[in-house]
Amino acid sequence: MRAAVLILAAMLVLVGCSPKGSTAACAPARTCLRMGNGADPATIDPQKINGVEEDNIVGSAMMGLTTEDVNGNVIPGIATRWETSPDGLIWTFHLRDAKWSDGFPVTADDFVFGLRRLLDPKTVAEYGYLLYFIRGAQAVNEGKAPLEALGVMALDAHTLQIKLLHPAPYLLQLTKHQTMYPAPRHIVERYGETWTKDHYVSDGPYVIQTWKLGDYIHATKNPLFFDANNVCIDDIYFYPISDSISAERRVRRGELDWNIDIQSNRIARLRKEIPDYVHTNTWLGTTYIAFNAQVASLKDKRVRHALSMAIDRDFMTKKLLRGGQSSAYSFTPPGVANYTPVQVPPWSSWPYEARQAEARRLLAAAGFGPGHPLKIEITHRNTPDPSLIMSAIQSDWTSIGVQVSLAPEEGQIAYQSYRSRAFQIADAGWIADYNDPKSFLDQLQSKTGTMNYGDYNNPAYDSLLDQADHENDIAKRAALLARAEALMLDDAPFVPIYFYVSKNLLNPNITGFGPNIADRHRIRWMCVKS
Amino acid sequence: MLGLIARRLFTALPTLFLVITAAFFMMRAAPGNPFQGERQLPPEIEARVMAKYGFDRPLIVQYGTYIADVAHGDLGPSLKYKDKSVGDVLKENFGVSLVLGLSALIVAGVTGIALGIAAALRQNRPADYLVMAVAVAGVCVPTFVTAPLLVLLFASTLQWLPNAGWNNGTLPNLILPVAVLALPQIAIISRLVRAGMIESQRSNFVRTARAKGLPDWRVVLRHALPPALIPLVSYLGPACAGLLTGSLIVERVFALPGLGKFFVISALQRDYTVVMGMVIVYAALILALNLLSDLIAAALDPRVRLS
Repeated sequence: MRAAVLILAAMLVLVGCSPKGSTAACAPARTCLRMGNGADPATIDPQKINGVEEDNIVGSAMMGLTTEDVNGNVIPGIATRWETSPDGLIWTFHLRDAKWSDGFPVTADDFVFGLRRLLDPKTVAEYGYLLYFIRGAQAVNEGKAPLEALGVMALDAHTLQIKLLHPAPYLLQLTKHQTMYPAPRHIVERYGETWTKDHYVSDGPYVIQTWKLGDYIHATKNPLFFDANNVCIDDIYFYPISDSISAERRVRRGELDWNIDIQSNRIARLRKEIPDYVHTNTWLGTTYIAFNAQVASLKDKRVRHALSMAIDRDFMTKKLLRGGQSSAYSFTPPGVANYTPVQVPPWSSWPYEARQAEARRLLAAAGFGPGHPLKIEITHRNTPDPSLIMSAIQSDWTSIGVQVSLAPEEGQIAYQSYRSRAFQIADAGWIADYNDPKSFLDQLQSKTGTMNYGDYNNPAYDSLLDQADHENDIAKRAALLARAEALMLDDAPFVPIYFYVSKNLLNPNITGFGPNIADRHRIRWMCVKS
Repeated sequence: MLGLIARRLFTALPTLFLVITAAFFMMRAAPGNPFQGERQLPPEIEARVMAKYGFDRPLIVQYGTYIADVAHGDLGPSLKYKDKSVGDVLKENFGVSLVLGLSALIVAGVTGIALGIAAALRQNRPADYLVMAVAVAGVCVPTFVTAPLLVLLFASTLQWLPNAGWNNGTLPNLILPVAVLALPQIAIISRLVRAGMIESQRSNFVRTARAKGLPDWRVVLRHALPPALIPLVSYLGPACAGLLTGSLIVERVFALPGLGKFFVISALQRDYTVVMGMVIVYAALILALNLLSDLIAAALDPRVRLS
């Protein structure tokens, strides 16, 4: 008993000594949203962020020329309207009277400054290459031209002009993307690269107040935001929670309102127990395996097709993952903007046994069979989903007579192998930067470099993508891209496995959450049911 | 004693230097770099990032620069958390690990010593078997099992305590993580104390104390216990350093902003500077706590000579 009292006393003393700070509890009369946001951001500097978790935070604070509505569609942001030249190469944006959270006006010059800062080699921003379709962007980013050579100009305080190298119907997707957020020139020039530490200002619905690494980020409603009257949530707490099971318990208990992930194998159970909480939707991402073009046995297209056919994708998505993922027979997922998905191969609807038989026949035609089996190794990341999927693929391929060994590696080591092409078959995934087929198909262009793991090189494919870049008509452009994808899928430099799915666990008391393929959910639209 | 402290501090510096050197080259020998991930950078951007942090220079030059910076108290910027320095990471998270670790240490110390004494005084009787059975279980069951089990029972089912979160270290948020951290330590401490007590109870000075007619509690607490604690004190030096620098599993399950999580994440992501900063803190703690445990051992047992 005495020991118990002593223990309690000791703990109380220690609690008294614990670090103090602003409390994470919601103050009375304020509406709060507590969100499990995966991981700590690497930065909250709009020109330097590159991850989903970071954009959830910074995208609540910053607003670009356009922004998202509740369903992720493009709507006017700081720009109220825009027009393009007939050739689609010059875009002019007209800005509203908006203010930074410190009261300074948001001007076209802040956008010019933000874009120049992103592409300035000194910023070493990792995402600058996304904007190489802007005139001068690549030369500026590579240090071969001055910042002023960038084709972005403030015609006056409220008018911004962007000149492009080729038409880009996806520009409005990118003007809401983090790469095109403005930067508060008056703050960044005054405080330098550390402005995010103590002088953060924003032009969007929220202002970031506190960042306690590993603990939480606290943002409050920005009273100077142009639509502040329609913002319901007063405080947001972003918690870095990497353990989705722990986050699930906290959402169920009411300690969190929302978590941006659900462990796949929990979804079926959660749908039964708390169906109103579970939100899954097709996401802009595809997992695939890449074939190394230098491996002699994989140079024969029939072998690659046989291996693709023998993968039982439905078993993986419906029995193993069970998170709502869907089988992929193309690189671009269904529902991508500005696109008509390509036809899936006819064999995808065959019975699995028929596919296995055809795969064996193709292998035999390529010279592989019981007397001379195909021997290959799959290098893969040792994280749970890739390990599960690669074991299933090993089993599928073994059933058609292929001898498969697995080489699981820690993520960093696996990527090192992929870059140096020290693999035969590699597992990988791709999540698009913006909602357009180009964000997928560019990966397989011969000029892409290291991320084209299979070194796919087909001049016809490259040419179709180039033609699409210079096509101003969206329907014709979509047709060119679809032709390119069909050509690439027939060449089979890689095998798509399944399309990602976004998995959100959300308290049904939260309103204003709209499912969308980009999985972007801006908190300015959300509210808490009374 | 002052001479001993001075000598130990003098030898600590070269030890620390060797640890830093070994960690630096081992970290750099690991494949990959901090800027490689699922989304790979174009080679020219990656080269620019590498140059920004000086990773384009020969390794030995980088090493020299790093040692010089550390000697001036500059642990450098975090390579992963671009807005934070290594100092920021340590400052913002060490406090949490310290509170958790010290709480667990006190709970484990008090409970473990009490259980150890009780078991030794009732040697080979049911109470002894019970304590030792609990101790074996405490050592054998890993924290990644106890943590979710305790959460399931006390947070999800009974709803007495929160599932996770730090919440500025309020008591309800501390109880479960501290219990999980303390349980294996209670097991080890109770076994060490039991063994020490059994041995010291058979010693001449305890027999003398009993012959003098001292009351039982005084014989136990004043005469038998202090020397019985010496193995415990030796154990607690490194154990303390381990507890104070955080635990990946406990911090992950309970979503706590401690150092342990960053140590592992940084190693996996090749955040060289953060890993090195943590290694320095950990090594310095071990050196300091080992010295402290030697001093406490001398205070507990007059037979120990500090020379």
